[in-house]
Amino acid sequence: MAEVHVIGQILGASDFPENSLYCKWSLTTGSGWRLLQGIKEGQTHVDTPSYEAFAAWSHPIDLHYTTKGLQGWPKFNFEIWHQDTFGRTELYGYGSCHVPATPGYHELECVTWRPIGSVKDQITSYFVGGGIQLKNPELAIANSESYRLKTVSMGKIHLRLNVVLRNFDKYGVEF
Amino acid sequence: MANTTNTFFLLMANGSIESAEIPEYDQVFIKYFFVHGQDWDKIAGLEEGSTQIGHKSIDDRQTIAFNFPLDITFKSTCPFGWPQLVVSCYGSDFLGREVIRGYGVTHLPISPGQHKIKIPLFVPESTSLLQKFFAWSQGRRPEYIDPRVLAHGEGREVTRVRSQGFLNLSFNIVTKDMKKVGYLTHKNDSNTNIGNQMIEMNNTTLGNLTQTLGFNPEQSMISQTPRF
Repeated sequence: MAEVHVIGQILGASDFPENSLYCKWSLTTGSGWRLLQGIKEGQTHVDTPSYEAFAAWSHPIDLHYTTKGLQGWPKFNFEIWHQDTFGRTELYGYGSCHVPATPGYHELECVTWRPIGSVKDQITSYFVGGGIQLKNPELAIANSESYRLKTVSMGKIHLRLNVVLRNFDKYGVEF
Repeated sequence: MANTTNTFFLLMANGSIESAEIPEYDQVFIKYFFVHGQDWDKIAGLEEGSTQIGHKSIDDRQTIAFNFPLDITFKSTCPFGWPQLVVSCYGSDFLGREVIRGYGVTHLPISPGQHKIKIPLFVPESTSLLQKFFAWSQGRRPEYIDPRVLAHGEGREVTRVRSQGFLNLSFNIVTKDMKKVGYLTHKNDSNTNIGNQMIEMNNTTLGNLTQTLGFNPEQSMISQTPRF
């Protein structure tokens, strides 16, 4: 059985309209994959940066998977939320990106989007705050219904990941 | 083919905490910890320590240079729990009390070589404005009881932090026997493994080929790259 280690951190996020952000993250894999060690979902702390327009989380990721096949390579799913000064939270973006399939160190930037509604929704959210979010966050990952969704792009999530592979060469897999 | 008796590998990391950039505060010292998983053992070096008190440079750069050496060697059987460096930066407030100025955490790099890493520093925030005022006046800011929790990432969802500043680190990483145990940590490894496999296959079939083809296939191998 081949093994994959994903070791690194969710470093932070930049280019969002407001900077007091936190991230709910999770990893999804195909059915042939099994998580041996590590936690595959979590939530970072809320960071309010003092100077830079960069919310720093430095959230550690350490996962050990074993797999029988290449299908369903692990993929990150992110939800970025903004917490304002009153403690209210609103959705700021969905994003997803695959774990790189090459061993070594990778710096990744995952772009995010959030759904926008009608003009009335946008005016309401301008004055009252908050915004719309997907009823079913799975829609952010699945593709079949995407054509009905109208979205606006938001900022980027920065990741620093190391990928360590084992036993793939025994199956003839090349990188 | 592989040495099956070898089940552990070594990771040697040396480097330094080079400098800190913390705009608001003038002087800082750093306490560092190496945190690792259960499969890991430190076999040489210091797992925790403290740097000197560094003062900001009196020029435009405004950096605090530490140039503090780090040197540690680990032994392990599995990359899970790869060691992380957790740093806590402390400084003096206006009454001379020691307060926290920033926490940072990063994994040690995995692939051998030289690495320069810049990590953000963040401080836990008080829950309310009143608590913030008391923290400022009494010098008892919110801090982590044990900074090592930052290496685990659990329980962070209930904390709020403020990021201020960066820390520059440099590492030189050397690993021993990771390939023998079977782990690929950088792309060049995979080519070598396939190369070795092809050479082995050629060696075992050479004898057969010489008999059937009537010539020595070694002479036809012009380059090192395997041909499929």
